[in-house]
Amino acid sequence: MSDELITQVKQMIIDALRIDGMAPADIDTDASLFGEGLGLDSIDALQLVVAMEKDFGVVVPDAATGTKVFASVRSMADYIATNRK
Amino acid sequence: MICFMFPGQPLAPPAALPDDPLFREIAGLARERAAFDLVTFSWLGAPATDQVALQLYGVAMSLYRTRLLRAEGVSPQLVAEHSMGIYPAIAAVGALPEGEVLELTARSGRAMAAMGRAKPYALGCIVGLTLEPLLAIAENNGVFLANHNTSRHFLLSGERGAMEDACAEALGRGAFSVKIFPCDAPLHAPPMAEIADELGAIFAGYRYREPVIPLLDHIEQEFLTAADLPAFMVRELTLPVNWERTYRALRRAGCSRFLEVGVGDSLKKYNRWIESETGR
Repeated sequence: MSDELITQVKQMIIDALRIDGMAPADIDTDASLFGEGLGLDSIDALQLVVAMEKDFGVVVPDAATGTKVFASVRSMADYIATNRK
Repeated sequence: MICFMFPGQPLAPPAALPDDPLFREIAGLARERAAFDLVTFSWLGAPATDQVALQLYGVAMSLYRTRLLRAEGVSPQLVAEHSMGIYPAIAAVGALPEGEVLELTARSGRAMAAMGRAKPYALGCIVGLTLEPLLAIAENNGVFLANHNTSRHFLLSGERGAMEDACAEALGRGAFSVKIFPCDAPLHAPPMAEIADELGAIFAGYRYREPVIPLLDHIEQEFLTAADLPAFMVRELTLPVNWERTYRALRRAGCSRFLEVGVGDSLKKYNRWIESETGR
């Protein structure tokens, strides 16, 4: 998985969640996105599902998959790299 | 145009509370008018439920943040409210003093808590489904739509067992996430009519002044007058909140800056979702 994809995922998170004043470099690639870490919730998660489909053509089909995919930026990038057409 | 948005009841107690003179004043009012100590999160007199405590905490934090924003020179041109956000919103528009709002919150909360002694109730937060299947699930399981927050974010209200079945069905139908929260009463649903007279008597016992800032309601998106307030506060507990319509009405009214004045940032996130759909 490329550093470029990691940066793209971070930028997608910033854009989709409209996080003001944050740059991709500010997000830890391996930190938890929910709870501690970025502190995202289920409202944010659905926003990221839509953004991943729009930006990368990758579908997160259900909550169980979402829990694994949205564990961290790295897990999101892994999922995208594996599933994008 | 700045809009102050007042959110509903928080779902969890505070991890930490502010410690400054403005907060201490609000905490003093909560002790005096609601017999509740925010700092120790405990009752000073006859205890009420955890849900009433959360309601008071939410209202107190909204009152505190209103004071904080005003101290920074930020004032709204319009005020909107979601669910029990109506209580601090009433203070923000000058219709009731803060102390009376805290008292009213405690009294109405205790009335609702009495319903929970007869049956366990719950709220079900469903994310990801659209309205049509959501309404079918509610009907299938005998629960009610309580919040229509966006096209994909809903809250159901009803008896605990029925809510567990409804949430299981929602997951089976492809909901992205479901979560159940305890509550004292079937909020924003028709069974609340059971205590409508009692709540009406509580709300009618205060002298409301005319709002000095326009206050938009979350049911029909109309501006509330002093005379509307007591009946609205009963009615809003029997009918669903429609935040999506409310946000769109605020935009049409010219609001361009939205400040969430309370605990959390759910309303901002709902707004973001609604905006993202508008831009599609």
